[in-house]
Amino acid sequence: MFKLNLKIAIRNLWKNKGFTLINIGGLAIGMACCLMLLLYVNYEWSYDKQFKNIDKIYITGLNLKFNGKLATTMALPNKLSKAAMEELPGFKRSARASNENNVKLYSHGQDNFKLTSLYVDPDFIKIFDYHFIYGDANTALNEPGSLIINETTAKKLFGTQNPIGQRITYDGKKELKVSAVIEDLPKNQSMQFDVLHPWSFLDQINPDDKDNSWGAITCFTYFELKDNVSMEATNALLQKFIVNKEPELKKMTYEPFLFPFAKRHLYEDFQNGKSVGGRIDQVRLFVFLAFCVLLIACINYMNLSTARSEKRAREVGVRKALGSARNSIMGQFMIESLILSFVAMLIAFTLLEVLLPYFNNLLDIKILINYSSLPFWVTLCSLVLITGLLAGSYPAFYLSSFIPVKVLKGFKGSTGSLSIRKVLVVLQFSLSICMIISAIVIYKQIQYMRDKSLGFDVAALAQIDLEGELVKPGKLEIFKNELKRAGAIEAATEYAGAFTRGGNITGDLSWPGKPKNDVSIVSYRSTGFDFANTAGVKLVAGRDFSPKFPADTTTSLLLNQEAVKLMGLKNPIGTVIHWGDNPPLKVVGVVHDFFNESLGAKVTPTVYYYNLRDSKSLLLKLSNKQSLTASIEMIKEVSQRLNPAYPAEIKLVSEGMADKIRSEKLLSVLSNIFGGFAIFISCLGLLGLALYMAEQRSKEISIRKVLGANLSDILVLLNKDFMKLVIISNVIAIPVAYILVTKWLEKYDYKITMNPWPFVLALLTSIIIALLTVSLQTFKVAKANAVDALKYE
Amino acid sequence: MIQLKNIEKYYSSKGIKHYVLRHVTTTIKQGEFVSIMGPSGAGKSTLLNILGMLEEPTYGNYEFMDEDVTNLNERKRIELYRNHIGFVFQAYHLIDEMTVYENIEAPLLYKKIGSSERKSRIADLLDRFNIVAKKDLFPNQLSGGQQQLVGIARALAAQPSIILADEPTGNLQSAQAEEIMQLFQKLNKEEGITIIQVTHSEKNAEYGNRILHIADGVVKDDVAVRDSVKI
Repeated sequence: MFKLNLKIAIRNLWKNKGFTLINIGGLAIGMACCLMLLLYVNYEWSYDKQFKNIDKIYITGLNLKFNGKLATTMALPNKLSKAAMEELPGFKRSARASNENNVKLYSHGQDNFKLTSLYVDPDFIKIFDYHFIYGDANTALNEPGSLIINETTAKKLFGTQNPIGQRITYDGKKELKVSAVIEDLPKNQSMQFDVLHPWSFLDQINPDDKDNSWGAITCFTYFELKDNVSMEATNALLQKFIVNKEPELKKMTYEPFLFPFAKRHLYEDFQNGKSVGGRIDQVRLFVFLAFCVLLIACINYMNLSTARSEKRAREVGVRKALGSARNSIMGQFMIESLILSFVAMLIAFTLLEVLLPYFNNLLDIKILINYSSLPFWVTLCSLVLITGLLAGSYPAFYLSSFIPVKVLKGFKGSTGSLSIRKVLVVLQFSLSICMIISAIVIYKQIQYMRDKSLGFDVAALAQIDLEGELVKPGKLEIFKNELKRAGAIEAATEYAGAFTRGGNITGDLSWPGKPKNDVSIVSYRSTGFDFANTAGVKLVAGRDFSPKFPADTTTSLLLNQEAVKLMGLKNPIGTVIHWGDNPPLKVVGVVHDFFNESLGAKVTPTVYYYNLRDSKSLLLKLSNKQSLTASIEMIKEVSQRLNPAYPAEIKLVSEGMADKIRSEKLLSVLSNIFGGFAIFISCLGLLGLALYMAEQRSKEISIRKVLGANLSDILVLLNKDFMKLVIISNVIAIPVAYILVTKWLEKYDYKITMNPWPFVLALLTSIIIALLTVSLQTFKVAKANAVDALKYE
Repeated sequence: MIQLKNIEKYYSSKGIKHYVLRHVTTTIKQGEFVSIMGPSGAGKSTLLNILGMLEEPTYGNYEFMDEDVTNLNERKRIELYRNHIGFVFQAYHLIDEMTVYENIEAPLLYKKIGSSERKSRIADLLDRFNIVAKKDLFPNQLSGGQQQLVGIARALAAQPSIILADEPTGNLQSAQAEEIMQLFQKLNKEEGITIIQVTHSEKNAEYGNRILHIADGVVKDDVAVRDSVKI
């Protein structure tokens, strides 16, 4: 029986090649999209799950009052780890990790490399079971001078030699010894590093840090809980731990809590001290998208199969009269759809393999299909089954429900099923239109953020780290002057760190009229002279830091407008501000707010102060008189000459800014691609339906033609019905899309104003595409010779 | 074998009943060859459909093999189709996607007959109807008469006790029609299969041994065919 069903299914598919092609094509594209998205989701989902003890590993978060709002940070006092371990029950291990100043120069012989490092407690490598190639977790971090490197680094520095015991020079100053080599980290781990240093080494570099107060939050803290200890119970103990040690901090809340490390990547957003999602929203969106695309493909199949029902109806009737049970007829249709979905999967799979490298490249990720993994095959098979059953279920039910006597007497396509088909088409198109609108809005928001006036001269700015010789103020001056003389730059100033990244914050500022209980937090950045000029930031009042005013090096401050607003200063220039133990500071200038750290969000209140020692990088305003590459070449050349030990790495600020809209770009790319495919598949469905309708109405059309209707009359007649469906889809999709996109835009402080044109554009696109698709078919019918259709009656 | 009591069938539209069958009461015994005759629209096909349980009467009582089948559920009906009833249609209704062989095999599959038994029965039927050479052809590769032969072979495959034929020769030329009628007569005589056919043709009706004349939904006449008319 099964064999016969199979044989007949294959014959049937072969006989209707056009339908089969549309069906398989639609399903294959749908499945490929779905698989691609699922692979991506799996990639995001598997973040950090590689560690054996992941269920017991927790990262510590800290809730603290921040400008009146409860904010959450993953930075904690460096005393917490040890104190909590000693005083509270339930912890098996704890470790701190610091990524402060973490890109340094490492040299071995003539080879110099800038590597990313992490400073960790020895228990860190016991909590996280990295795979050791050489050395072992018990001893690798016991000496301050020892370090762990990863495989790639080992190859880079030592080639094929055994790296254990080899010497590496750190930052041109210290000799360290390699104690272990670990396998390279997978890309989907949230902690990425080339080198691991013991914490004791950090203590050697920054000896003062040991005496940090409880208020200084400087490092990550990880805990591994004992078996059978719950996170909730531990959190209850931990909550008041810091304020008990330091009651002063009570007004700023300072409540630490454990957060499962496995969730760190996907649930990184906190509001009011509660986890509110984060990337998981995007991941969920993609899962939803994946199934929408699959659903659209399945609807296609249902539509096309039921559209052909007239042809199959007689077969069903005869089979029933021969004594076939309904189940076996349903089985026949199910087998057909399963075969189709299997073939579609083979094609989808090929597509996937071919396209995956492009996809990886596009999103800058590394997804590989793991052929040896069981879940992969299970997913694949269940996808075939789900698609086959989902797509086949309605046709199977519908077709097997025919009453033999009716269909044998001559069956004229039932109208009831047509309306279901229409509903399915409307559903399909509504989904597609929603995707189009979302894609347009996302694209516009990205455009808006990219083109928004940032308030500084983003195109002309470049940065170079201050290291080696350049740390010496004298050498730095020479460096700057040489560059200016060579015409590579127009101006330069020192800056706290990477210009596009965040930096330090403090609650320690006080200004005239500051309320007693105010715990406002202000960002602070160190700079050199000529800051506003170099960055291209407008001065609203006062002046830039300048060597002409000796006081600037010790007691001058620049504020941004947000800071002025926060402090409620009417006349900011000359205002005296106190900051910790520093001498009183005077505001000498106010800069216009500029968006260097975030694109969509408001600018944080920031103060700028002159300090060369705190500044780790040099901000360069490139000359506009020559090309960018020429300037960069020149800077490289000068840097190599003055600071030969360090490879000159010049970073463009514009690239850093582009990085900020990465996640939006990702969303845009995916919504464009998959929205496009969704529309394409929907059109395939429409084409199939048009094909069917044309066939069904060929007699009617012939009669009309004989009666004198011309081509355009008939085209209007035929297209009208389809246009109605597309319009209805729009009516449904537009409000839904409106709600969705306004919700998405909520998270941006600066966003596009909603106007009708994305909706109009989607409306027009859908109508035009549908019109073209349908006309392809209707035109053929309308042009056909009337006699051909009539003579067989 | 078949007992009809007061079978009525009507369609009501706008409150008016349009009768198709009225007060049909008759008995058909095992081994009879009954022809139902009458003008177009008299209700012949409806009566046959009711006999074949493809339609339900609005009123009345139908017993098939001493069992009340007036309101039979689908599963039991399918059981009857599988074991007792064979249909032959005017338009043949072969399944286009199946070869001749597979068409004949289909009812046997539904009846869950073992493969060797299936093979021998089909071989036997193909042989009897002289269509061995055509067994791998598809229906659209055959002439109408050949298709109807396959249709009858298919109806016979499950070894039914009754064959219901709705104008089996309606689409055929007279020579082919005669061949089919002779076949029916032979099946009835030699194998004792009950046959009920709807026909327009007096000549075809003569092959049977009883004729039911229907007009306007009422059985007007129920006559036995004299042996002398038969060949």
